[in-house]
Amino acid sequence: MNWVGLQMLRNDRAKFAAMIVAVSLAVFLMQNQAAILATMLSMTAAQIRDVQDADLWVTEPDVECFDQVKPMRDIQLLRVRGVAGIAWAAPLLKIDAIGRSEGGRLNTVTLLGIDDASLAGLPQKMRVGRADAIRELDTAIIDPGGHELFFPGEPFRAGRSVRIRNRRLRIVGVSDIAAPFTGLPMLHTSRSTAAAFNLGEQHMTSFILARSAPGSRPEALCQKINTLGGLRARTTEQFAADAMWFYGSQGVPMLFMVTITIGLIVGAAITGQTFLMFIKENARPISMLKVVGTTDRQLGTMILLQGAVVLVLGSCFGSGIAAAVCNIIRTQPFLRSLYLPWEIALGTCFALASVTGIALYASFRHVRGLEPAAVFR
Amino acid sequence: MTSTDSTAVRCTGIRKHFGEDDARVEVLRGVDYTVRRGELSFLVGPSGCGKTTLISVIAGLLETSSGEVSLFGNPLARMPHPERVLFRRSHLGFVFQQYNLLQALTAAENAAIPLLAAGVRRREAVDRAGALLDRLGLGSKTGSYPRQLSGGQQQRVALARALVHEPRLIICDEPTAALDHATGEAVMELLASAAVHPDRAVIVVTHDSRVFHFADVIARMDDGHITHVEPGQRSVAEPHPGSSRNSHPSA
Repeated sequence: MNWVGLQMLRNDRAKFAAMIVAVSLAVFLMQNQAAILATMLSMTAAQIRDVQDADLWVTEPDVECFDQVKPMRDIQLLRVRGVAGIAWAAPLLKIDAIGRSEGGRLNTVTLLGIDDASLAGLPQKMRVGRADAIRELDTAIIDPGGHELFFPGEPFRAGRSVRIRNRRLRIVGVSDIAAPFTGLPMLHTSRSTAAAFNLGEQHMTSFILARSAPGSRPEALCQKINTLGGLRARTTEQFAADAMWFYGSQGVPMLFMVTITIGLIVGAAITGQTFLMFIKENARPISMLKVVGTTDRQLGTMILLQGAVVLVLGSCFGSGIAAAVCNIIRTQPFLRSLYLPWEIALGTCFALASVTGIALYASFRHVRGLEPAAVFR
Repeated sequence: MTSTDSTAVRCTGIRKHFGEDDARVEVLRGVDYTVRRGELSFLVGPSGCGKTTLISVIAGLLETSSGEVSLFGNPLARMPHPERVLFRRSHLGFVFQQYNLLQALTAAENAAIPLLAAGVRRREAVDRAGALLDRLGLGSKTGSYPRQLSGGQQQRVALARALVHEPRLIICDEPTAALDHATGEAVMELLASAAVHPDRAVIVVTHDSRVFHFADVIARMDDGHITHVEPGQRSVAEPHPGSSRNSHPSA
C-alpha cells in the first residue's frame, strides 16, 4: 500500500512540488543563516585555532578574546617557562596600526609579531611564498582578505609592500589562515619587526604561547599557571570557546535565531498546511481504501512515507542549494571561512521534520476519523 | 467462515439512528433482510429510504443502534474493529456509483488494490488484476489511467476491483446510476455473469428499474423498512443453487 500512497503523492504534482519547494526554501534559509552565524562565531576564534604548534594560551587575567590586548611584562614569559611540564613558551605581539599600499589604499591592519627564535604561531598553510621568510627584517606575510583590500582584483603574489608608520613592510607571501572576525588585514611578521611599530609601548608581549611537554595534560598545566597569580592560562579550545562566548553573548546570535526560527515556522507551516490539504482532498479515495479493508496502520505508514519522501527530497534540495551558495560565497577572500557544518545541515532537517511531524500526525488523525461509509454518498 | 447453511447475509431487527434528542433521525426502523448464497439481490426504493445505510451496516462500516447482522454465520457485533476490517478485506467486494478509482493508478493497479491491501506483492497483484480485466473485456486497457477510460470502462475496472480477491459478498451501490442505459445494461450483464457464483452473494442497491430484470430477488425499502420482497425475473428464468423464489424466507 505504501506504493499506492507514493503514486497518489506523485499524481498531485502541484502540491507535491509546492511541498518540496517549501521544505527546500525553509531548509536553505535555516542552513544559510545558521552557517553564517556558526562561521561568524568561529571567526572570533579563528586566530586562536590557527595557531597549531602551541596548545596553551596565557594572557592577562581580564582578557576574554583575541581582540582584547593587554600587554604583559617579559617576566611573565619567564614564569610560564618555569612551570614544570611546559615544553616551551614564546611571546606573541599583537598591534593594530594603519597601513597604506603602494597604490595609496589605507586600511587598519592587525600586525602579529612572531617570536624570532621559535617562530611559534607562524601560519601552517600558505597560498604564496614561505612563512619562514619573515625572519628577514621588515618583511611580512598577508592573509588573502588583506591582499584583496590592499591590492583589489590583483592575483596573489609576493613582492608588494605596505607602508606602516613611515616604514615599508615587504610582503613575502600570502598565508592561508581563516578569515578574522574583524575583517582587517592580518599581517604576520617577526616580533623584532613588529616591535618597531609598537611606538610608546614598553611591553612587547600580548599573549604567551606555550606547548605542554609529552605526558603533561594541558588542562592541568593551565591550573598550575593560574595558581602563579596575575596570569590566566587556557587550552586552545578553552580560549576559543571563551572568545566565541564573549562575542556570542552580545546579541548577534539572537538576530540570526529569529531568522532561523521564522524559516522553521514558515517552512513547516506551508509544508504542513499543504500536506493536510493534500490528505483532505484525497478523503474520498482514502475512504475507499478504508472500505476495501486497508487498516489504519497501513494508512498511517502510507502517510508517514509520503511525508518522509517530501521531507527527504526537500531537505536534499535545500541542503544542496545551501551548500552550493556557501561554496560560491566562499570564493570571496573576505568570506573564505564560510562553512556549513554537517551538524547544522542535519539539525535543521531534523528540526523541520519534527515540526512537520505535527502536521503528519494531524493528517493521520484526520484519516483515522474519516467515515468510510461516506464513500457511498 | 463458520456457517455451512445457505444464508450469506442475515439482518435481524436492524435499527439505526443518527443524532440525538431533537436532531435524532431514525434511518432504519427494524429491518429484517436475508440474502442467500448464489443470489443476486436488489435493494430498491426511493432516495432517503435507508438503502445506503443498510449496506453500510451490512459491510460493517456503520454500527447498528440495535439488531444483529451476520455474514456467513459470523455476527459482526462480536468482531472487534480490526478483525472486522480484515474480514471486510477478505470476504467483501464493493462497487460504487462514482467508481472511486485512484487517478494515480492504471486500470490494472486500481483493480489490484484489495490484493495490495492484503499484502500480495505488487507484480503478482497487478498480474492477477490484469488477467481479470482481460476476462471482463478490458485486456487492452490494463495500462490506461481512469481519465483515459469511459464511464462504462471505469465501472468495469471497479467491478474487477470488487472481484479480484474472490470475495463471498459483493455490495454494489447504484452501479449503473452514472451510466447511460446501454452501458448500464452491459455492466449489469457483466456483474450477473462474473460476480454471481454458488458460494457468493451479490447485493445491488439501485433505483434504476431498467435493470431490475437481472435480479433474483428484489427487496423494496421505504422509510427505513423492507416493505416487500419479490422474486426477480432472473430467478424465474435461471433458478440457481441456494436460492429459489418459493423458498426465500423473506418472500
